[in-house]
Amino acid sequence: MRMWRIIGQGTQALGTNKMRTFFMMVGTIVGIAALTVIMAMGNGAEQKVMKRIEGFGPRAIMLIAGGGKDLPPPDLTVTTLTLDDAEAVRDKVHGIEAATPVAFKRNMPVKAGATQSTAMIFAVEPDWHEAWDWYVSDGDAISAADVATLAIVCVIGQTLSHDLFGSESPLGNYIRIQNVRFRIKGILEHRGTSPMGTDFDNRVLVPLSTGMRRLFNQDYITYVRIKVKNLDRIKSVQKQVRQLIHERHHITPPQEDDFRIVSAQAVGELARGTSGTLSILLMALAGLSLLVGGVVLMNILLISVGERQKEIGLRRAVGATRKDIRSQFLAESLAVTCSGMLLGGGLGTVITLILEHTTQVPIVLSWEPFALSLAFALLVGTFFGVQPARKAASLNPVEVLR
Amino acid sequence: MIEVDQLDKTYSAGRVLTPVLKDASFRIDEGEYVAIMGASGTGKSTLMNILGCLDKPTAGRYLLDGTDVAELDDDALSRLRNKKIGFVFQQFHLLERATAMRNVTLPLIYVDKYPEDAEKMAEKALAAVGLAERMQYKPNELSGGQQQRVAIARALITDPEIILADEPTGALDRKSGLEVMSIFKKLHQEGHTIILVTHDLAVAEHAQRIIALKDRQVTEDRRIKQQRDPDLELDALGVGEVKK
Repeated sequence: MRMWRIIGQGTQALGTNKMRTFFMMVGTIVGIAALTVIMAMGNGAEQKVMKRIEGFGPRAIMLIAGGGKDLPPPDLTVTTLTLDDAEAVRDKVHGIEAATPVAFKRNMPVKAGATQSTAMIFAVEPDWHEAWDWYVSDGDAISAADVATLAIVCVIGQTLSHDLFGSESPLGNYIRIQNVRFRIKGILEHRGTSPMGTDFDNRVLVPLSTGMRRLFNQDYITYVRIKVKNLDRIKSVQKQVRQLIHERHHITPPQEDDFRIVSAQAVGELARGTSGTLSILLMALAGLSLLVGGVVLMNILLISVGERQKEIGLRRAVGATRKDIRSQFLAESLAVTCSGMLLGGGLGTVITLILEHTTQVPIVLSWEPFALSLAFALLVGTFFGVQPARKAASLNPVEVLR
Repeated sequence: MIEVDQLDKTYSAGRVLTPVLKDASFRIDEGEYVAIMGASGTGKSTLMNILGCLDKPTAGRYLLDGTDVAELDDDALSRLRNKKIGFVFQQFHLLERATAMRNVTLPLIYVDKYPEDAEKMAEKALAAVGLAERMQYKPNELSGGQQQRVAIARALITDPEIILADEPTGALDRKSGLEVMSIFKKLHQEGHTIILVTHDLAVAEHAQRIIALKDRQVTEDRRIKQQRDPDLELDALGVGEVKK
């Protein structure tokens, strides 16, 4: 087709002066590379957010002892949140499926015979499993009877099990925490590592009553884990819980709260917030590169039109219409930005892969940046190519061939 | 066939009107070898541009094969140039970075249907100007005379009605110039219509007929009694005929 031949003339011009072509391309390359990296990082950050929400439990709310705006981990020195508070939440708040009190301590030494390790100790009630959607994979869970009788039994996570018993089944064995011997009655399902690096599987669950009295020697709890019936109840439940605890703790705003309510959404937003600034910076870099690259491209093309006046005149003389000339130069501009896009996309992907291997920045490669890059390449190529193409087409062959 | 009738061309810059060609009338038949001659400023270039469909007359009629060129728009003129006119310029105007082959096929980019045997056609055209061996050479690897011959092959590729040569020997030494004129002679013998534009009587005398311009007007239109033969002159130079 005639048009293809003319486009061919435009793209062939790139090969004839490689240095010039490179300079025309460099802005696009940098811009698209930055764009690719941003998108990969953005996707990575978003995936991290989703993982955190997932890990937290999308329908979960935590009522945590201690004020302030921080998210978990909780402040273990605050003593004002009680079992009665948890009871009140369970009885009075509408729209919840479960509300379970938890007391816990970090880094407690755990021994099995001569082997020693440290783990997080959680004192829980039976509905803890439901509230976290986290059940035993082997043996039995903490039962209501265990809580009622202050049974000295426990359920352990798989990391701890492995650390203390190797590949043997720990069921029926005993572990010693602060000189209390707990019989292991169950093993928790594998849960993996949190985005912050905490190993979820390095833990011990004991009955709430046993934990509070025999291990921690405290009458307060660390948090209440609440699971709402469905997602759209989250706001309402948060509000009810806040009101209830305000009443029970005799707090009237602006007096400072001695508790915090954290939802999965809040966790997600916090994670999003930290990755946002870098993204905006990189986005600015990408935009600026594409803009500057476009202007450079336009100027080189304008100069090139000036240098190639005779060629343009000749083409007109041998039969090129104004439109043919315009198409040729537009094709040249688009060929620059599209090849720049391919190179930039490649460069961006390489940078992304290097970042992934050398840093903790979470990264997800996907097809979207390439689609977006193509769109930008076409946009920049057209926008900055039109002016030189018009100038070329407007040349009068009689004058330039003189 | 070319027929021009009372052709006028006036350039206007603001309110200043500059006439550059007045009342030109003549007719050139198919197969003729005509020189349009005149010093610079006589309207010779303007006439050539109009005949080459690069420019339109302000008044008068220019019929090219029965088509009134003055009535065509820019696109139609482009197409007409592509089909009917082969240009040869003083400065050759070759694409510097393209081979002889690619330079010769350039006009075919703009035809409606690209011929499948384009390369064959180009080979033939290059052979006709004695450059069969130089098809993959770039202009800077060729002498001036050879470059001009590539340009002639380019003009031939679309098999145009008219070959319009503007001072084709102006940038060449005597021998190369004669070689180029020898090619025109041969093309004329093969039946091509050739219009040679020059200020130089010695060049013009290679044609059969001279249309001379002076003060923007055609002052003379005559047959040449003794047409010069480039081949004889080349023999006289002791270099023989151009390889064919």
